[in-house]
Amino acid sequence: MIGPAGDIAQQIAKGTRSAAAVLAECKALIEARDPDLNCFTAKTFERAEREAAAIDALYAEGKALPPLAGVPYAVKNLFDVEGLVTLAGAKINAGNAPAAADAKIVARMSRAGAILVGALNMEELAYGFLTENHHYGITRNPHDHTRGAGGSSGGSAAAVGAGMLPITLGSDTSGSIRVPASLCGVFGLKPTYGRLPRSGTYPFVNSFDHVGPFANSVLGLALAYDAMQGPDPTDPACAQRAVEPASASLSLPRGTRIGILGGWFHEWADPAARRSVQLAAAALGATEWTELKSAEVARAAAYIVTGAEGGALHRPRLLQQYEDFGPASRSRLVAGGLIPASWVSQAQRVRRHAYREAMDLFERFDLLIAAAAPAVAPRVGQETLLINGRSIPTKAGLGVLTQPISCIGLPVCTAPVWPGEGESPQERALPVGVQLISGPWREALCLAAARTLEQAGIAKLSAL
Amino acid sequence: MTETHDNPLEAYVRAALALQGYTFDDVEIAEIVMQFARLETIARTVFEWPLPFASEPAPVFRP
Repeated sequence: MIGPAGDIAQQIAKGTRSAAAVLAECKALIEARDPDLNCFTAKTFERAEREAAAIDALYAEGKALPPLAGVPYAVKNLFDVEGLVTLAGAKINAGNAPAAADAKIVARMSRAGAILVGALNMEELAYGFLTENHHYGITRNPHDHTRGAGGSSGGSAAAVGAGMLPITLGSDTSGSIRVPASLCGVFGLKPTYGRLPRSGTYPFVNSFDHVGPFANSVLGLALAYDAMQGPDPTDPACAQRAVEPASASLSLPRGTRIGILGGWFHEWADPAARRSVQLAAAALGATEWTELKSAEVARAAAYIVTGAEGGALHRPRLLQQYEDFGPASRSRLVAGGLIPASWVSQAQRVRRHAYREAMDLFERFDLLIAAAAPAVAPRVGQETLLINGRSIPTKAGLGVLTQPISCIGLPVCTAPVWPGEGESPQERALPVGVQLISGPWREALCLAAARTLEQAGIAKLSAL
Repeated sequence: MTETHDNPLEAYVRAALALQGYTFDDVEIAEIVMQFARLETIARTVFEWPLPFASEPAPVFRP
Protein backbone atom coordinates (compact mmCIF):
# COMPACT_ATOMS: atom_id res chain seq x y z
CA MET A 1 0.00 0.00 0.00
CA ILE A 2 1.43 3.36 -0.98
CA GLY A 3 2.11 5.84 1.82
CA PRO A 4 0.40 9.17 2.52
CA ALA A 5 1.22 12.16 0.31
CA GLY A 6 2.76 14.16 3.14
CA ASP A 7 5.22 11.35 3.96
CA ILE A 8 6.15 10.86 0.29
CA ALA A 9 6.79 14.57 -0.26
CA GLN A 10 8.86 14.75 2.92
CA GLN A 11 10.98 11.70 1.99
CA ILE A 12 11.71 13.19 -1.42
CA ALA A 13 12.49 16.62 0.03
CA LYS A 14 14.94 15.00 2.50
CA GLY A 15 16.51 12.85 -0.20
CA THR A 16 15.69 9.53 1.49
CA ARG A 17 13.76 8.47 -1.64
CA SER A 18 13.73 9.69 -5.22
CA ALA A 19 10.62 10.61 -7.17
CA ALA A 20 11.62 7.91 -9.64
CA ALA A 21 11.62 5.27 -6.88
CA VAL A 22 8.19 6.35 -5.64
CA LEU A 23 6.86 6.23 -9.19
CA ALA A 24 8.28 2.73 -9.67
CA GLU A 25 6.49 1.53 -6.51
CA CYS A 26 3.26 3.17 -7.66
CA LYS A 27 3.46 1.61 -11.14
CA ALA A 28 4.05 -1.84 -9.65
CA LEU A 29 0.99 -1.46 -7.39
CA ILE A 30 -1.15 -0.34 -10.33
CA GLU A 31 0.00 -3.22 -12.54
CA ALA A 32 -0.65 -5.72 -9.74
CA ARG A 33 -4.01 -4.43 -8.48
CA ASP A 34 -5.81 -2.63 -11.26
CA PRO A 35 -6.65 -5.69 -13.40
CA ASP A 36 -9.03 -6.90 -10.65
CA LEU A 37 -10.61 -3.48 -10.05
CA ASN A 38 -10.68 -1.63 -13.40
CA CYS A 39 -9.89 1.82 -12.01
CA PHE A 40 -7.78 3.09 -14.93
CA THR A 41 -8.95 3.90 -18.45
CA ALA A 42 -5.53 5.34 -19.46
CA LYS A 43 -2.06 5.32 -17.97
CA THR A 44 0.29 8.24 -18.51
CA PHE A 45 3.51 6.58 -17.40
CA GLU A 46 5.71 8.33 -19.98
CA ARG A 47 4.56 11.71 -18.75
CA ALA A 48 4.99 10.50 -15.16
CA GLU A 49 8.59 9.47 -15.86
CA ARG A 50 9.32 12.96 -17.24
CA GLU A 51 7.67 14.69 -14.27
CA ALA A 52 9.49 12.48 -11.74
CA ALA A 53 12.82 13.11 -13.47
CA ALA A 54 12.19 16.86 -13.29
CA ILE A 55 11.59 16.63 -9.52
CA ASP A 56 14.74 14.56 -9.00
CA ALA A 57 16.69 17.10 -11.05
CA LEU A 58 15.40 19.93 -8.85
CA TYR A 59 16.57 18.03 -5.77
CA ALA A 60 19.98 17.32 -7.31
CA GLU A 61 20.38 21.03 -8.00
CA GLY A 62 19.64 21.82 -4.35
CA LYS A 63 16.52 23.81 -5.21
CA ALA A 64 13.43 24.05 -2.99
CA LEU A 65 10.81 21.46 -3.88
CA PRO A 66 7.10 22.27 -4.26
CA PRO A 67 4.65 20.87 -1.66
CA LEU A 68 3.55 17.76 -3.57
CA ALA A 69 6.94 17.03 -5.15
CA GLY A 70 7.00 13.46 -6.40
CA VAL A 71 3.53 12.52 -5.15
CA PRO A 72 1.75 10.31 -7.73
CA TYR A 73 -1.92 10.93 -8.52
CA ALA A 74 -4.53 10.26 -11.22
CA VAL A 75 -7.72 11.97 -12.36
CA LYS A 76 -11.30 11.00 -13.21
CA ASN A 77 -11.48 10.82 -16.97
CA LEU A 78 -13.59 13.96 -17.28
CA PHE A 79 -10.55 16.16 -16.58
CA ASP A 80 -8.63 17.32 -19.63
CA VAL A 81 -5.16 15.80 -19.75
CA GLU A 82 -2.98 17.04 -22.57
CA GLY A 83 -2.74 14.36 -25.24
CA LEU A 84 -5.64 12.22 -23.93
CA VAL A 85 -9.23 12.17 -25.16
CA THR A 86 -11.51 13.42 -22.37
CA LEU A 87 -13.99 10.55 -22.23
CA ALA A 88 -16.24 11.47 -19.30
CA GLY A 89 -17.04 7.76 -19.31
CA ALA A 90 -18.88 8.03 -22.62
CA LYS A 91 -18.54 6.32 -25.99
CA ILE A 92 -19.86 9.50 -27.63
CA ASN A 93 -16.62 11.23 -26.67
CA ALA A 94 -14.22 8.49 -27.74
CA GLY A 95 -13.77 9.97 -31.23
CA ASN A 96 -13.03 13.48 -30.00
CA ALA A 97 -9.62 15.08 -30.47
CA PRO A 98 -7.20 14.69 -27.56
CA ALA A 99 -7.13 17.58 -25.09
CA ALA A 100 -4.74 20.33 -26.14
CA ALA A 101 -3.95 21.31 -22.55
CA ASP A 102 -4.45 20.15 -18.98
CA ALA A 103 -7.51 21.17 -16.97
CA LYS A 104 -6.78 24.12 -14.70
CA ILE A 105 -6.51 22.06 -11.53
CA VAL A 106 -4.41 19.38 -13.23
CA ALA A 107 -2.01 22.15 -14.24
CA ARG A 108 -2.00 23.39 -10.63
CA MET A 109 -1.23 19.88 -9.35
CA SER A 110 1.69 19.70 -11.78
CA ARG A 111 2.90 23.09 -10.59
CA ALA A 112 2.81 21.71 -7.04
CA GLY A 113 5.11 18.88 -8.13
CA ALA A 114 2.57 16.02 -8.30
CA ILE A 115 3.15 13.23 -10.82
CA LEU A 116 0.22 12.30 -13.08
CA VAL A 117 -0.02 8.55 -13.72
CA GLY A 118 -3.35 8.21 -15.50
CA ALA A 119 -7.08 8.74 -16.03
CA LEU A 120 -9.75 6.90 -14.08
CA ASN A 121 -13.06 5.20 -14.79
CA MET A 122 -16.38 6.81 -13.94
CA GLU A 123 -20.11 6.48 -14.49
CA GLU A 124 -21.10 7.54 -18.00
CA LEU A 125 -21.31 11.36 -18.15
CA ALA A 126 -21.23 11.41 -14.31
CA TYR A 127 -24.95 10.56 -14.20
CA GLY A 128 -25.37 8.11 -11.31
CA PHE A 129 -23.85 6.90 -8.07
CA LEU A 130 -22.38 3.67 -9.45
CA THR A 131 -19.43 3.01 -11.72
CA GLU A 132 -20.99 0.21 -13.72
CA ASN A 133 -20.01 1.74 -17.01
CA HIS A 134 -21.66 0.24 -20.10
CA HIS A 135 -18.67 1.12 -22.29
CA TYR A 136 -15.61 0.95 -20.04
CA GLY A 137 -16.62 -1.70 -17.51
CA ILE A 138 -17.38 -1.98 -13.83
CA THR A 139 -15.03 -0.53 -11.22
CA ARG A 140 -15.07 -2.90 -8.28
CA ASN A 141 -14.83 -2.21 -4.60
CA PRO A 142 -11.30 -2.78 -3.26
CA HIS A 143 -12.68 -4.34 -0.05
CA ASP A 144 -15.06 -6.80 -1.74
CA HIS A 145 -14.79 -7.41 -5.47
CA THR A 146 -18.40 -8.58 -5.68
CA ARG A 147 -19.46 -5.04 -4.78
CA GLY A 148 -19.25 -1.73 -6.59
CA ALA A 149 -17.00 1.23 -5.89
CA GLY A 150 -19.86 3.73 -6.03
CA GLY A 151 -19.78 6.69 -8.35
CA SER A 152 -19.69 8.59 -10.36
CA SER A 153 -15.97 9.01 -9.40
CA GLY A 154 -15.63 5.28 -8.72
CA GLY A 155 -12.19 4.82 -10.25
CA SER A 156 -10.84 7.73 -8.20
CA ALA A 157 -12.07 6.31 -4.88
CA ALA A 158 -11.17 2.69 -5.59
CA ALA A 159 -7.61 3.55 -6.69
CA VAL A 160 -6.96 5.22 -3.32
CA GLY A 161 -8.86 2.56 -1.35
CA ALA A 162 -6.82 -0.18 -3.02
CA GLY A 163 -3.57 1.48 -1.96
CA MET A 164 -2.44 2.28 -5.51
CA LEU A 165 -2.35 6.07 -5.09
CA PRO A 166 -2.22 8.57 -2.22
CA ILE A 167 -4.30 11.20 -4.08
CA THR A 168 -6.80 11.24 -6.95
CA LEU A 169 -9.15 13.89 -8.31
CA GLY A 170 -12.87 13.59 -8.96
CA SER A 171 -16.01 15.61 -9.40
CA ASP A 172 -19.19 15.86 -7.34
CA THR A 173 -22.48 17.10 -8.75
CA SER A 174 -24.77 15.38 -6.26
CA GLY A 175 -22.45 13.16 -4.25
CA SER A 176 -19.98 11.74 -6.77
CA ILE A 177 -16.98 12.31 -4.50
CA ARG A 178 -18.70 11.59 -1.19
CA VAL A 179 -20.57 8.39 -2.13
CA PRO A 180 -17.60 6.49 -3.61
CA ALA A 181 -15.35 7.80 -0.81
CA SER A 182 -17.84 6.33 1.65
CA LEU A 183 -18.11 2.99 -0.14
CA CYS A 184 -14.37 2.57 -0.73
CA GLY A 185 -13.27 3.80 2.70
CA VAL A 186 -11.17 6.84 1.76
CA PHE A 187 -11.10 10.55 2.53
CA GLY A 188 -12.78 12.93 0.06
CA LEU A 189 -13.35 16.66 -0.10
CA LYS A 190 -16.19 18.38 -1.90
CA PRO A 191 -15.32 22.04 -1.44
CA THR A 192 -17.76 24.94 -1.44
CA TYR A 193 -19.44 25.42 -4.82
CA GLY A 194 -17.17 27.76 -6.75
CA ARG A 195 -14.05 27.21 -4.64
CA LEU A 196 -12.05 25.18 -7.19
CA PRO A 197 -12.06 25.99 -10.90
CA ARG A 198 -13.72 23.54 -13.28
CA SER A 199 -12.03 24.89 -16.41
CA GLY A 200 -11.00 22.04 -18.66
CA THR A 201 -13.42 19.54 -17.13
CA TYR A 202 -16.33 17.92 -18.95
CA PRO A 203 -19.52 19.43 -17.51
CA PHE A 204 -22.68 17.70 -16.35
CA VAL A 205 -24.84 20.17 -14.38
CA ASN A 206 -23.26 23.60 -14.26
CA SER A 207 -25.44 24.65 -11.32
CA PHE A 208 -24.00 21.89 -9.11
CA ASP A 209 -20.69 20.71 -10.58
CA HIS A 210 -17.82 20.71 -8.09
CA VAL A 211 -14.32 19.24 -8.33
CA GLY A 212 -12.18 17.97 -5.48
CA PRO A 213 -9.63 15.45 -4.19
CA PHE A 214 -9.63 11.97 -2.66
CA ALA A 215 -6.73 10.88 -0.43
CA ASN A 216 -5.48 8.23 1.95
CA SER A 217 -4.82 10.84 4.67
CA VAL A 218 -6.32 14.15 5.75
CA LEU A 219 -3.00 15.94 5.28
CA GLY A 220 -2.79 14.64 1.72
CA LEU A 221 -6.33 15.81 1.07
CA ALA A 222 -5.50 19.26 2.43
CA LEU A 223 -2.23 19.52 0.49
CA ALA A 224 -4.03 18.71 -2.76
CA TYR A 225 -6.85 21.12 -1.93
CA ASP A 226 -4.38 23.92 -1.19
CA ALA A 227 -2.50 23.26 -4.43
CA MET A 228 -5.70 23.59 -6.48
CA GLN A 229 -7.15 26.74 -4.91
CA GLY A 230 -7.17 30.19 -6.44
CA PRO A 231 -9.28 32.34 -8.73
CA ASP A 232 -9.86 31.45 -12.36
CA PRO A 233 -11.76 33.93 -14.53
CA THR A 234 -12.34 31.29 -17.20
CA ASP A 235 -14.81 29.42 -14.95
CA PRO A 236 -17.82 31.73 -14.45
CA ALA A 237 -18.83 29.88 -11.27
CA CYS A 238 -15.38 30.07 -9.70
CA ALA A 239 -15.29 32.49 -6.79
CA GLN A 240 -12.55 35.02 -7.26
CA ARG A 241 -11.12 34.36 -3.80
CA ALA A 242 -7.52 34.30 -2.74
CA VAL A 243 -6.00 31.00 -1.63
CA GLU A 244 -6.95 30.16 1.97
CA PRO A 245 -4.49 27.40 2.94
CA ALA A 246 -5.84 24.62 5.11
CA SER A 247 -2.95 22.17 5.36
CA ALA A 248 -0.76 24.26 7.69
CA SER A 249 -3.20 23.95 10.59
CA LEU A 250 -5.53 20.97 10.83
CA SER A 251 -6.47 21.43 14.48
CA LEU A 252 -10.12 21.69 15.38
CA PRO A 253 -10.61 25.00 17.23
CA ARG A 254 -11.58 24.65 20.87
CA GLY A 255 -15.29 25.23 21.32
CA THR A 256 -16.31 24.15 17.83
CA ARG A 257 -20.06 23.62 17.96
CA ILE A 258 -20.98 20.33 16.31
CA GLY A 259 -24.48 19.07 15.59
CA ILE A 260 -25.71 15.67 14.41
CA LEU A 261 -28.17 15.80 11.53
CA GLY A 262 -31.36 13.88 12.30
CA GLY A 263 -34.64 13.82 10.40
CA TRP A 264 -34.07 12.92 6.73
CA PHE A 265 -30.42 12.04 7.39
CA HIS A 266 -31.30 9.58 10.17
CA GLU A 267 -34.33 8.09 8.39
CA TRP A 268 -32.28 7.23 5.31
CA ALA A 269 -29.30 5.81 7.20
CA ASP A 270 -29.33 2.06 7.87
CA PRO A 271 -27.88 0.63 11.12
CA ALA A 272 -24.33 0.57 9.73
CA ALA A 273 -24.55 4.20 8.56
CA ARG A 274 -26.05 5.23 11.89
CA ARG A 275 -23.24 3.47 13.73
CA SER A 276 -20.65 5.39 11.68
CA VAL A 277 -22.33 8.66 12.65
CA GLN A 278 -22.44 7.57 16.28
CA LEU A 279 -18.73 6.73 16.31
CA ALA A 280 -17.78 10.02 14.67
CA ALA A 281 -20.03 12.07 16.93
CA ALA A 282 -18.59 10.45 20.05
CA ALA A 283 -15.02 11.11 18.91
CA LEU A 284 -15.86 14.75 18.18
CA GLY A 285 -17.77 15.21 21.43
CA ALA A 286 -21.03 15.98 19.61
CA THR A 287 -24.23 15.18 21.45
CA GLU A 288 -26.86 17.59 20.12
CA TRP A 289 -29.18 16.49 17.33
CA THR A 290 -30.61 18.95 14.86
CA GLU A 291 -32.50 18.93 11.58
CA LEU A 292 -32.34 20.44 8.11
CA LYS A 293 -36.07 20.38 7.45
CA SER A 294 -35.75 21.16 3.78
CA ALA A 295 -33.39 18.24 3.09
CA GLU A 296 -35.99 16.17 1.25
CA VAL A 297 -37.18 19.03 -0.91
CA ALA A 298 -33.61 20.17 -1.57
CA ARG A 299 -32.85 16.69 -2.87
CA ALA A 300 -35.93 16.86 -5.07
CA ALA A 301 -34.90 20.28 -6.36
CA ALA A 302 -31.44 18.96 -7.19
CA TYR A 303 -33.02 16.05 -9.04
CA ILE A 304 -35.14 18.36 -11.20
CA VAL A 305 -32.34 20.82 -12.02
CA THR A 306 -29.97 17.94 -12.75
CA GLY A 307 -32.43 16.34 -15.15
CA ALA A 308 -33.16 19.58 -16.95
CA GLU A 309 -29.58 20.80 -17.30
CA GLY A 310 -28.18 17.36 -18.17
CA GLY A 311 -30.91 16.75 -20.73
CA ALA A 312 -30.43 20.13 -22.37
CA LEU A 313 -26.64 19.78 -22.44
CA HIS A 314 -26.70 16.45 -24.24
CA ARG A 315 -29.73 17.01 -26.50
CA PRO A 316 -27.76 17.63 -29.71
CA ARG A 317 -25.98 14.30 -29.47
CA LEU A 318 -29.00 12.45 -28.12
CA LEU A 319 -30.73 13.51 -31.35
CA GLN A 320 -27.84 12.24 -33.49
CA GLN A 321 -26.31 9.33 -31.54
CA TYR A 322 -28.94 7.97 -29.15
CA GLU A 323 -27.72 4.38 -29.58
CA ASP A 324 -24.17 5.37 -28.60
CA PHE A 325 -25.30 6.40 -25.10
CA GLY A 326 -25.50 3.65 -22.48
CA PRO A 327 -28.97 2.22 -21.84
CA ALA A 328 -28.92 3.41 -18.23
CA SER A 329 -28.27 7.02 -19.28
CA ARG A 330 -30.04 7.83 -22.50
CA SER A 331 -33.73 7.60 -21.57
CA ARG A 332 -33.08 9.50 -18.32
CA LEU A 333 -31.28 12.26 -20.20
CA VAL A 334 -34.03 12.58 -22.81
CA ALA A 335 -36.71 12.62 -20.09
CA GLY A 336 -34.79 15.33 -18.23
CA GLY A 337 -34.70 17.45 -21.35
CA LEU A 338 -38.51 17.50 -21.37
CA ILE A 339 -38.85 19.04 -17.90
CA PRO A 340 -41.00 22.18 -18.04
CA ALA A 341 -39.38 25.51 -17.18
CA SER A 342 -41.84 26.05 -14.30
CA TRP A 343 -40.44 22.99 -12.49
CA VAL A 344 -36.90 24.25 -12.85
CA SER A 345 -37.80 27.74 -11.69
CA GLN A 346 -39.58 26.37 -8.63
CA ALA A 347 -36.64 24.05 -7.89
CA GLN A 348 -34.26 26.99 -7.96
CA ARG A 349 -36.52 28.91 -5.56
CA VAL A 350 -36.54 25.89 -3.23
CA ARG A 351 -32.77 25.78 -3.45
CA ARG A 352 -32.44 29.35 -2.24
CA HIS A 353 -34.89 28.60 0.59
CA ALA A 354 -32.95 25.50 1.68
CA TYR A 355 -29.72 27.47 1.64
CA ARG A 356 -31.22 30.09 3.96
CA GLU A 357 -32.44 27.40 6.35
CA ALA A 358 -28.92 25.93 6.43
CA MET A 359 -27.46 29.37 7.16
CA ASP A 360 -29.81 29.68 10.13
CA LEU A 361 -28.53 26.31 11.33
CA PHE A 362 -24.95 27.59 11.11
CA GLU A 363 -25.87 30.34 13.59
CA ARG A 364 -26.07 27.52 16.16
CA PHE A 365 -23.46 25.09 14.84
CA ASP A 366 -20.10 25.31 13.12
CA LEU A 367 -20.14 21.76 11.82
CA LEU A 368 -22.77 19.13 11.08
CA ILE A 369 -22.38 15.35 10.90
CA ALA A 370 -24.33 12.94 8.70
CA ALA A 371 -23.66 9.64 6.99
CA ALA A 372 -22.27 9.93 3.46
CA ALA A 373 -24.19 6.94 2.11
CA PRO A 374 -27.28 5.17 3.38
CA ALA A 375 -25.52 1.80 3.63
CA VAL A 376 -22.35 -0.13 2.80
CA ALA A 377 -21.40 -0.76 -0.84
CA PRO A 378 -24.13 -2.64 -2.75
CA ARG A 379 -23.37 -5.73 -4.79
CA VAL A 380 -22.57 -5.17 -8.46
CA GLY A 381 -25.84 -5.15 -10.37
CA GLN A 382 -27.98 -4.75 -7.24
CA GLU A 383 -31.11 -2.91 -8.41
CA THR A 384 -32.48 -1.64 -5.10
CA LEU A 385 -31.36 -0.71 -1.59
CA LEU A 386 -33.47 -1.59 1.41
CA ILE A 387 -33.07 1.15 4.01
CA ASN A 388 -34.97 0.70 7.26
CA GLY A 389 -37.73 -1.22 5.48
CA ARG A 390 -37.99 1.16 2.53
CA SER A 391 -36.82 0.26 -0.94
CA ILE A 392 -35.05 2.77 -3.19
CA PRO A 393 -33.35 2.33 -6.61
CA THR A 394 -29.61 1.86 -6.04
CA LYS A 395 -28.38 4.10 -8.84
CA ALA A 396 -30.17 7.17 -7.51
CA GLY A 397 -30.65 6.14 -3.89
CA LEU A 398 -26.99 6.02 -2.92
CA GLY A 399 -27.00 9.82 -3.11
CA VAL A 400 -30.00 10.34 -0.88
CA LEU A 401 -27.84 11.84 1.90
CA THR A 402 -25.40 13.80 -0.24
CA GLN A 403 -27.72 15.45 -2.75
CA PRO A 404 -29.39 17.88 -0.31
CA ILE A 405 -25.97 19.26 0.67
CA SER A 406 -24.47 19.76 -2.79
CA CYS A 407 -27.75 21.34 -3.88
CA ILE A 408 -26.82 24.25 -1.62
CA GLY A 409 -23.08 24.13 -2.27
CA LEU A 410 -21.77 23.57 1.27
CA PRO A 411 -18.23 22.23 1.83
CA VAL A 412 -18.03 18.62 3.02
CA CYS A 413 -15.17 16.36 4.00
CA THR A 414 -16.00 12.67 3.90
CA ALA A 415 -14.11 10.55 6.42
CA PRO A 416 -13.91 6.74 6.23
CA VAL A 417 -15.45 5.02 9.25
CA TRP A 418 -15.76 1.25 9.80
CA PRO A 419 -18.97 0.59 11.72
CA GLY A 420 -18.65 -3.20 12.00
CA GLU A 421 -22.41 -3.57 11.49
CA GLY A 422 -24.17 -5.88 9.05
CA GLU A 423 -25.83 -9.21 8.51
CA SER A 424 -22.73 -11.01 7.24
CA PRO A 425 -19.01 -10.96 8.07
CA GLN A 426 -18.43 -9.44 4.60
CA GLU A 427 -20.79 -6.55 5.33
CA ARG A 428 -19.30 -6.02 8.77
CA ALA A 429 -15.89 -5.51 7.13
CA LEU A 430 -17.10 -2.63 4.94
CA PRO A 431 -16.98 1.13 5.57
CA VAL A 432 -19.63 3.80 5.63
CA GLY A 433 -18.19 7.30 5.54
CA VAL A 434 -19.43 10.33 7.42
CA GLN A 435 -20.01 13.79 5.99
CA LEU A 436 -18.44 16.63 7.98
CA ILE A 437 -20.36 19.65 6.72
CA SER A 438 -19.71 23.31 7.38
CA GLY A 439 -20.81 26.73 6.19
CA PRO A 440 -19.58 28.20 2.88
CA TRP A 441 -15.80 28.65 2.55
CA ARG A 442 -15.07 26.78 5.80
CA GLU A 443 -13.33 23.78 4.21
CA ALA A 444 -10.55 24.11 6.78
CA LEU A 445 -13.00 23.28 9.56
CA CYS A 446 -14.28 20.18 7.73
CA LEU A 447 -10.70 19.03 7.22
CA ALA A 448 -9.80 19.71 10.86
CA ALA A 449 -12.74 17.59 12.03
CA ALA A 450 -11.62 14.78 9.72
CA ARG A 451 -8.10 15.09 11.10
CA THR A 452 -9.49 14.76 14.65
CA LEU A 453 -11.26 11.54 13.64
CA GLU A 454 -8.08 10.30 11.96
CA GLN A 455 -5.98 11.00 15.06
CA ALA A 456 -8.58 9.24 17.21
CA GLY A 457 -8.31 6.15 14.99
CA ILE A 458 -12.00 6.41 14.03
CA ALA A 459 -11.37 7.47 10.42
CA LYS A 460 -8.74 5.44 8.62
CA LEU A 461 -7.95 3.41 5.57
CA SER A 462 -7.92 -0.34 5.69
CA ALA A 463 -4.58 -1.85 4.64
CA LEU A 464 -4.88 -4.11 1.60
CA MET B 1 -49.18 1.76 -24.74
CA THR B 2 -52.29 3.29 -23.22
CA GLU B 3 -54.32 5.72 -25.29
CA THR B 4 -52.59 9.03 -24.79
CA HIS B 5 -55.85 10.86 -24.11
CA ASP B 6 -56.19 8.65 -21.00
CA ASN B 7 -52.68 9.45 -19.86
CA PRO B 8 -51.81 13.15 -19.83
CA LEU B 9 -48.22 12.43 -18.80
CA GLU B 10 -47.64 10.20 -21.81
CA ALA B 11 -49.39 12.72 -24.04
CA TYR B 12 -47.08 15.43 -22.71
CA VAL B 13 -43.98 13.29 -23.28
CA ARG B 14 -45.00 12.46 -26.85
CA ALA B 15 -45.74 16.11 -27.63
CA ALA B 16 -42.55 17.37 -26.00
CA LEU B 17 -40.44 14.79 -27.83
CA ALA B 18 -41.96 15.86 -31.13
CA LEU B 19 -41.36 19.52 -30.30
CA GLN B 20 -37.71 18.82 -29.59
CA GLY B 21 -37.23 16.83 -32.77
CA TYR B 22 -36.92 13.34 -31.27
CA THR B 23 -38.34 10.32 -33.07
CA PHE B 24 -38.58 7.07 -31.10
CA ASP B 25 -40.48 3.82 -31.38
CA ASP B 26 -43.11 2.87 -28.81
CA VAL B 27 -40.67 0.78 -26.74
CA GLU B 28 -38.28 3.70 -26.35
CA ILE B 29 -41.12 6.10 -25.65
CA ALA B 30 -42.40 3.79 -22.92
CA GLU B 31 -38.96 3.90 -21.25
CA ILE B 32 -38.83 7.70 -21.48
CA VAL B 33 -42.37 7.96 -20.10
CA MET B 34 -41.29 5.82 -17.13
CA GLN B 35 -38.30 8.07 -16.50
CA PHE B 36 -40.40 11.21 -16.84
CA ALA B 37 -42.99 9.79 -14.43
CA ARG B 38 -40.22 9.46 -11.80
CA LEU B 39 -39.26 13.08 -12.37
CA GLU B 40 -42.89 14.15 -12.13
CA THR B 41 -43.29 12.38 -8.79
CA ILE B 42 -40.23 14.16 -7.44
CA ALA B 43 -41.38 17.49 -8.88
CA ARG B 44 -44.54 17.20 -6.79
CA THR B 45 -42.37 17.40 -3.65
CA VAL B 46 -40.91 20.65 -4.96
CA PHE B 47 -44.30 22.18 -5.69
CA GLU B 48 -45.86 21.08 -2.41
CA TRP B 49 -43.18 22.86 -0.37
CA PRO B 50 -44.56 26.16 0.97
CA LEU B 51 -42.47 29.08 -0.23
CA PRO B 52 -42.92 32.79 0.39
CA PHE B 53 -44.25 34.46 -2.78
CA ALA B 54 -41.21 36.74 -2.97
CA SER B 55 -38.58 34.00 -2.70
CA GLU B 56 -36.13 34.24 -5.57
CA PRO B 57 -34.47 31.47 -7.58
CA ALA B 58 -30.95 30.51 -6.59
CA PRO B 59 -28.87 31.39 -9.67
CA VAL B 60 -28.13 35.07 -10.02
CA PHE B 61 -26.50 36.31 -13.20
CA ARG B 62 -23.63 38.65 -12.44
CA PRO B 63 -22.25 40.29 -15.56
